[in-house]
This record gives sequence, structure tokens and C-alpha cells, in this order.
Amino acid sequence: MEVRDKKMLAAAFLLVLLVGCRRQGPSPAVQGAGPIHGGEVVVALAQDLSSFNEYTGFSESTETLILDLLFPSLLVEQPDYQLHPPSFAPNLAKAWEFSEDNRTLTLYLRDNARWSDGRPVTAEDVAFTFRVQKDRRLGWHGLEIKDFIEAVEVVSPTVVRFRYSRVYPYQLMDANDGHIVPAHVWGEVPLEEWPHTDFSKLLVTSGPFRVATHLPNQTLVLARDPNYWDQPKPYLDRVVFRILPDVSQQLAQLFAGQVDLVLMVPPREAASVKQDPKLELVEIPSRVWGYVGWNNRRPPLNDRRVRRALSLAINRKALVETVYWGYARLANGPIPSTMWAYNRNLPVLPYDPQQAQALLDAAGVRDMNGDGVREWQGKPFTIELLYPGVNPLRAQAAVLIQADLAKVGVAVRPTPMEFTAMMARQEAGNFDAVLSAWEEATKVDLTSLWVTPSPTTGSYNFIGYSNPEVDHLAAQAREEADLAKVKLFLDRAQELIVEDQPVTFLYEGIQLVGISRRIKGADINPSSVFFNLPEWYVVP
Amino acid sequence: MTGRLVRRLLASLLVVWAVATATFFLVSLAPGDLATKLTDPRIAPAARERLRQHYGLDRPLAKRYLAWLSGVVLGDFGDSFLYRRPVREVLAQALPNTLLLATVGLCLELILGVVLGLVQVRRPHGFWDRALSAFSLTAYALPTFLVAAGLIWLFAYRWPLFPPSHMTGLLAPADPWTTIKDRLWHLALPAITVGLTGCGAVARYLRGALLDEQAQTYILGALARGASRSRVVLVHALPNAALPLITLLGLSLPFLVSGALVIEVLFSWPGMGQVFYSAVTARDIPLIQAVTILVTAAVVVGNWLADVAYALADPRIRR
Repeated sequence: MEVRDKKMLAAAFLLVLLVGCRRQGPSPAVQGAGPIHGGEVVVALAQDLSSFNEYTGFSESTETLILDLLFPSLLVEQPDYQLHPPSFAPNLAKAWEFSEDNRTLTLYLRDNARWSDGRPVTAEDVAFTFRVQKDRRLGWHGLEIKDFIEAVEVVSPTVVRFRYSRVYPYQLMDANDGHIVPAHVWGEVPLEEWPHTDFSKLLVTSGPFRVATHLPNQTLVLARDPNYWDQPKPYLDRVVFRILPDVSQQLAQLFAGQVDLVLMVPPREAASVKQDPKLELVEIPSRVWGYVGWNNRRPPLNDRRVRRALSLAINRKALVETVYWGYARLANGPIPSTMWAYNRNLPVLPYDPQQAQALLDAAGVRDMNGDGVREWQGKPFTIELLYPGVNPLRAQAAVLIQADLAKVGVAVRPTPMEFTAMMARQEAGNFDAVLSAWEEATKVDLTSLWVTPSPTTGSYNFIGYSNPEVDHLAAQAREEADLAKVKLFLDRAQELIVEDQPVTFLYEGIQLVGISRRIKGADINPSSVFFNLPEWYVVP
Repeated sequence: MTGRLVRRLLASLLVVWAVATATFFLVSLAPGDLATKLTDPRIAPAARERLRQHYGLDRPLAKRYLAWLSGVVLGDFGDSFLYRRPVREVLAQALPNTLLLATVGLCLELILGVVLGLVQVRRPHGFWDRALSAFSLTAYALPTFLVAAGLIWLFAYRWPLFPPSHMTGLLAPADPWTTIKDRLWHLALPAITVGLTGCGAVARYLRGALLDEQAQTYILGALARGASRSRVVLVHALPNAALPLITLLGLSLPFLVSGALVIEVLFSWPGMGQVFYSAVTARDIPLIQAVTILVTAAVVVGNWLADVAYALADPRIRR
């Protein structure tokens, strides 16, 4: 997943805008007796949600962020994946249990959950949602998540049962994926009509907030839903999403107090947010990690000595400090260090140009004609490094990598590309190296990225990495139910991947959220910025 | 006359068809499609092929083209991949916003440009002519985003006269009168940006044409007959000098429907520019096609209108 930052048109003129907008005011240090009802929070969003129905195609992550507030999920995934696979807290389901053989999950729904039209949320809605998710005519992007769930049965209006075809560690997570939608309203529309239906006209929701007004690509106003089951929450009267595609406008309005929350502050602006007494900068360790992906099929990059040499020759620490202004951490392996599955004993690859030179020599990539550039089979060893042109951080990183590798006699040609075109070249295997990023899911699985690609199942392993031992370990980790054993398999696989250096691991991302200090009670964590939005309140 | 009109209409349809067809093949043959960019840990790799089938991207190109063409002939532009609803509805939301901004912007551009041009020819090569020449050339040369950022900084933050973004305030006002005031207030900065960046061209064209006209003998004749200078310029020279402006305006017509991406992004104006940009980045072929047809049609119609206006302004062409 590429972290796109497409609206940087006026980036150079950010300062022009910001100079005038920073009004200094007294910090609202009013710490009252606790939560107060009322008020609103204004959130800047780079793009609007494209549909209120997530099941008719592919939906972006900002869309999920909003749908979380409007449609209930059975359970809430907790941000505790540092210690173990994420646990779950009750939500629409107040309790759940697995059968003896672990093949049946019974969920008990709360009886006071209501749709915004007053009708109760029932087991029928859950079963209807499952039918929608599995329907191949609709093209929900998450359909494969439900592969091992065979059936969802209504036992009573408040009891629903999931039947699985196999036992595995992520059964609860897979049952929970996707929001519950209203059967009594959306069920009236035949499924084949769904792709042509405007669901903004069928907005029966059930969450802490409901849609008050929506001007597409402008403003989405959510108002407190008096039917919400967890009274007296939510405390806020309104949450207003303002669509601001330009990041400098987002920041200018944050500084001017017109916006209370910016989801992604660019690293170079972090200091000014921090200095503003009215604002707070929240750093969330994300599961995004950046890398240089080498084409493991193309000689001499198919030689792991060469890939290791390139990793040793890049001053990764300096790169992370320079490009991300310190708001990122050095990445070391395929699983972010913030996750339970990370192998804490992985060796850290140093910056060592000398060793890199020796490795390149040993691999037969030598400078024979003394022009300062090494040759491979008589031709200069030149690497074309692709990166998405709209992302200025990638452009900076590409230039630094070019400079570092030039020092060991490897010529790099940074090539900015349109994102989809770059992905197409990656998919076709027609590249030397790409500068990109990936976000690890909370459901840790090395299969899609690191297992030898098979033509039947599809793969994200575009770089063509292949190590039979890693394939085997990933399969074992997937099949095993005992977490301690899973961890052992994953630890070993990480060691092998780091030895092979199919990619050069660069950084682990930190999401920077700028938030007004008048907002209280916010628990902003890696699960979601709006993790506990019903508990937020504002002080005057 | 009717024959000429029919021939011209057919030729116009042919142009629209040719452009739309070329776009269809260019976009379809460009590397990657909607599914290519779906590299997301939440999505199984197998889902990419499934989604390709879902959107019909696995069918042969010729079949896809015929299906699309027959749809368009019947007035159905299909469903947008990105917005997951009929393309018609997506455009119906964005088009009025762009029309509003572009119409007001173009009017400002025209008024400012004509006023500048007229002031300049009062004393050619005098102080005001040179000063305004410098101004209009600078306005013409400055990148739009710089003008926009400057205006936002000055008039939304330094002296907060206007809102920095959007078409409305946080909450839509209740009565129609306040709604109109609110809309105009929000329209001010983006429309001024359109007007400022475009008025330079209008002023330059008009100044040149007016100077040419003033060298003509009929102007000398009018002055000799005792007509006042301003009457000579406004009544005699201006209509003749306005011909290049008609061409300029005819060429601006597509802007009414295409929108201006930079201005729309900076001011969060939800118009066609943003829709088209997001359609292109998402490889949303039905939406790209619909916008292309609309803009091509506007080019054709713009040329038509310019021709008609020429005929009205210049009796020689009518014959």
C-alpha cells in the first residue's frame, strides 16, 4: 500500500499560507468535573467517502473511518497487538462463545441497539450482512476474509451463530470484519440493483452518530444519535467532516482554529503544530513500513550478496532522520517492531560501505574500466529506482539512496511514475527497484508478501522473492492454532528474510495527528483515530 | 443554409465520437487498471482478479468498447467504479458547482480585462499603459496556485474578509436569501483567482486590437467630425476590436464544464476538475469517458457559438 499524498500542489507555498494563520491564544486549560454534553468537533479529511455502502466495490480506508461511526460492528478490535493478536471488546454483540470443537461461534446481541428509524438491530441483520458479503455479484473487496465461514444462522432475534469450515487463530477477527447493514431497508433493494443504487438516499444507520447533512466532496455533518445504546454517550452534538484536499489548507485551518483535527500532519510541519499552545501533536506508531524492493528475478539482483551489499551501502538511519524529521523509526524486518509477532532478536544491519564493496566484488560486480561505476557482465551496473511521483518524501529518499549507492560504485536512476503505472510495471516484473511502502495487517500473515507467488492464488510478492523454507514456515504459521508455536515459525521466517534481504527495510512510519486542545477524553491509538469518539467532549 | 448546418452537426458528432474513442483506447491500454493499485493488506491478492472480472476488465477490449458505445448511444454512461453509483449522478452533483464558479470567474475575467485594456489605450506607452501592462503580464504569468495561496493568506487570514475554502459554512443556512449571500461570500476568492489569472490575456488582446483600430482612417474621420475620444473608443473601435475576444471566449467555454483542478483543490470546491482528477487516478473508465465527452462537446459548441457571435458582430461574415 502506497501512502499517497496526491494533493501536494502548493507544497512549496505552504509557508506563505502558514505565516499569517498562527494566532497565539490562551490555552484552554479548563479541566472541569468531567464530560460535558454538547459542542462539535471539525475534522479535516483529504477526500470524501465515495459511497455509504462498503459492499459494492473497493472502499478506501477513510471511508471505513466514517462508516465505523454509522454502522455497528459486532465487536471492537483492541489496539493491543503489541502483546498478542488483537483482542476484542463487546459492541453490538455483548458476549460470545465458541463451541467445544471451536467450529461454531455463538454471539449474543444487545437488545437495546436500534436503527436510526427506531427498529431494533437483530440477528436477522447480521445474517443478511453475511449474505451480502458473500455475494459475488457485488464485488466486496473483503469477500475472501469470509472464506472459512460456511454459514450464519439466526437462532433468535438476539442470538446468531457462525459456522466455520476450519479452526484457526483469527476466527473471531474474520467474523467481525465488515459493518452490519439494515436488512429491513437495504434488503428491499434486489442485490443486482445495488451497484446502480445511491445508498445516500437509504441512510438508516445505527451508531453513536447519524448523518445530518452530506454535501458530497464538501461537508459531512454527523449528529448525535439519541437511539445509541451506550447512553449518555456520545457527548458531542456533532462531528463535522470538512473535505480539504490540500494539506496546506488543512494545516492553515487547524492553526486558525477552524478545524480541530488533522489526520496526517506532514513530518516537516510537526514542529509548528507542537509549538502551538492551542494544539497537541499525537504520534501514533503505525504498521506502515517503507522499503526499497529489489527485483529478485533480475541478475545480479537475484544474488542475495548483491542485495545485502546495497542494504549495507544505504545510510538508512540518516535517511529516516532527514526525510521524516525523526518521525519514523528504522525498520529492520518484515513485521513492524510494534507488533507481537516481531522477532526482537533480529540482527540490525549497519551502515557499512566497506563491507558492501567487498560483497559486490565477491559477487562479480566490479569496476573493471576504472570509471567509478561497477560493471555487471561488461555493462555498467545501473539500477532504475521507481517511485510514485506525487509523493515528495519518496522523491527525497530516492535522491539520498542514489547518493549513497554512488559511493560504492552503483549508479541509480530515480524515476518518478504515476502510481498505477508504477504498480503495473511492478506486477509485470518489469523493473529493477521500487521505493514503496506496505501496511502490515493486524492479522499477521507472511503469505501474500513473502511466499513464492503461485499463478492460481495471486500474490503481492511482485519482487519475486522465493525461499522454500520461508514458504514452509509461513504455511505452518497459518495452519497452527497454538500461538507460541506460531511465534516460533514467524521468528525463524523473519530471520531468513532478513538474511536474504529481498528488500532493503527503510522505516516504520509514525502517523502524526494534529488535534485542538479543546478536545478532551480522546484516546487516539493505532486501531483508529476515532477509537473512542463517543467519549470525546469539548471544553469552551 | 440548412444543409450546411446538418453537415456541421454531423461533423461535430464525429469529432466527439473520435475523441471519446481515442480516450477509451488510450485509458484502457495505459498500463494498469483499477485492480492494479489494490495492494492493501485487508484485501486478499486473489481479490484483484475477482474485482477485475467484477468491473468487466477481463473482457476483450473490442467487446468492452462496443458495450460502452452502445450504452452511450442509449444515453447510459454506466456506473462509476470509484463512486459506485451511476456516472450521471456523479456529474449532476459536480457540474453545477463548476458552472457557477466558471461563469462568475469568466465574467470577472472579461470585465477586468476590458477595463484594463481600455485604460491602457487612453494613452498608449504612457505611465498607466506600462504599469498595467506589467500588471496584466504578471497576472498572466503567475501560476494559479501562487495567486490562490496569496489571496487566501491576505483575505482569509491576514484580513479575514472571506472564507478560505468550501462552498458553504459548516451548517447550511436555512432561508434562501442567507443561502445566496453565503454562497457568494464563499465564491469570492476562487472567482477572483479565475478573474485575476485570466484578465491579463483579455487585456493584452484588447489593447493590441484597439491600437490597430485606432490607426484606421475611420477613427481619424470620427475624431475629425468632432466625436469625443471616449465615444470613438467605446462606440466605434471597441466593437471591431472585440472580435479576438470572441475567439478567446469561445475557447474558454470548455472551462465551464471541465473546471480548474488547482483552484478546486486549493479552495475545496467540489467541481468537475476534482471529479476528473480522481477518476483518472482511479482508472475509473466510465467516469473518464463521460467527462471527456462533455468537455469535447463543450469545445465543439464553444466554436459554434464563437462563429455565430462573429457573424453577429461582423456583418461581412454573414454574407
